[in-house]
Amino acid sequence: MHEFSLAQGLFNQLLQLADTHQAEKIVIVRVEIGRLSGIVVDSFSFGFEILARENELTRTAILDITVIEPDYSCLDCRTVYTPTKGDEGHCPQCGSAGYALTGGDDLILTQVEME
Amino acid sequence: MCDSCGCHIADDEKNTRIVDVHESLLAANTKQANENKHHFESMGAVAINLISSPGSGKTTLLEHTIQRLRNEFKIAVIEGDIETERDADRIRKQGAPAVQITTGGACHLDARLVHKGLHQLQHESEMEKFDIIFIENVGNLVCPATFDLGEHERIVLISVPEGSDKPAKYPKAFTSSQGFLITKVDLLPYFDFSLEEAESEALKLNPKLKILELSSTTEKGFEDWLDYLRQLVEK
Repeated sequence: MHEFSLAQGLFNQLLQLADTHQAEKIVIVRVEIGRLSGIVVDSFSFGFEILARENELTRTAILDITVIEPDYSCLDCRTVYTPTKGDEGHCPQCGSAGYALTGGDDLILTQVEME
Repeated sequence: MCDSCGCHIADDEKNTRIVDVHESLLAANTKQANENKHHFESMGAVAINLISSPGSGKTTLLEHTIQRLRNEFKIAVIEGDIETERDADRIRKQGAPAVQITTGGACHLDARLVHKGLHQLQHESEMEKFDIIFIENVGNLVCPATFDLGEHERIVLISVPEGSDKPAKYPKAFTSSQGFLITKVDLLPYFDFSLEEAESEALKLNPKLKILELSSTTEKGFEDWLDYLRQLVEK
């Protein structure tokens, strides 16, 4: 449910950027959403679409979302790995089930293409 | 890209600009959260953010905690709810200052709301210094986990009737917390709740998590909880 207010934050930032760069149209908005950020990608896109439609500047803008996976680091042998599906939480090096997660918890506006 | 044929030749004519931003959209909240942390510290307080589903016993835990610690520490509570003053009233009855933040629909507290709550607390209680400020978040195991409020310690609660599968189902609440309380343990004989499952799943997500089992109404396990709070105050 907080996705809509986050989309609103993104939208405000886009309007500011367009103003700074004197753009007439936002073409592509690139965003990274961490898988552990607690942000639902579909809900965020939905919020963005509704807001984008309201403004001439963003009406045809494409929202390009990349989902960022967290890094798993094994607590026993310190290997950093990305788990394969179906075998989450087992180190491919030593098989240990203990891991710490880092990253993958943010929402980042990476790049904006405008005209 | 050219609208009619999709070629890239028209790019220059249209003066397409690519602007690299690389800014966190959660940054505004994080900035306010850092300011809140300084604010708590200037009041001499350790701030504790309690998150859980509705009905897992956050307010009851606070009532009993205040009863037990009121001669030892100055405690205040910032209550977050969608509607009503009820929780803040329950805290005030225990003799501790409480402010109620009603979010009017939002499913979580954010740093800006807590900032407002802090000023309200200082204004209404006419007190400058506290030992512990509890923030009782909106009952929700999902959204509050995303928002840093500037707290020193985040504690997640699961009550026995909710089931021991909750850590695995709501990982962010556990990866972002430092403490995990299993509440209503007096009900263990009546529910199919496995302490072993809840604790091992939670530790798998966050090996540093401090786990306590307690019942607020019978005060079983309460001494360990009060010691945990004493340690946080000493830090």
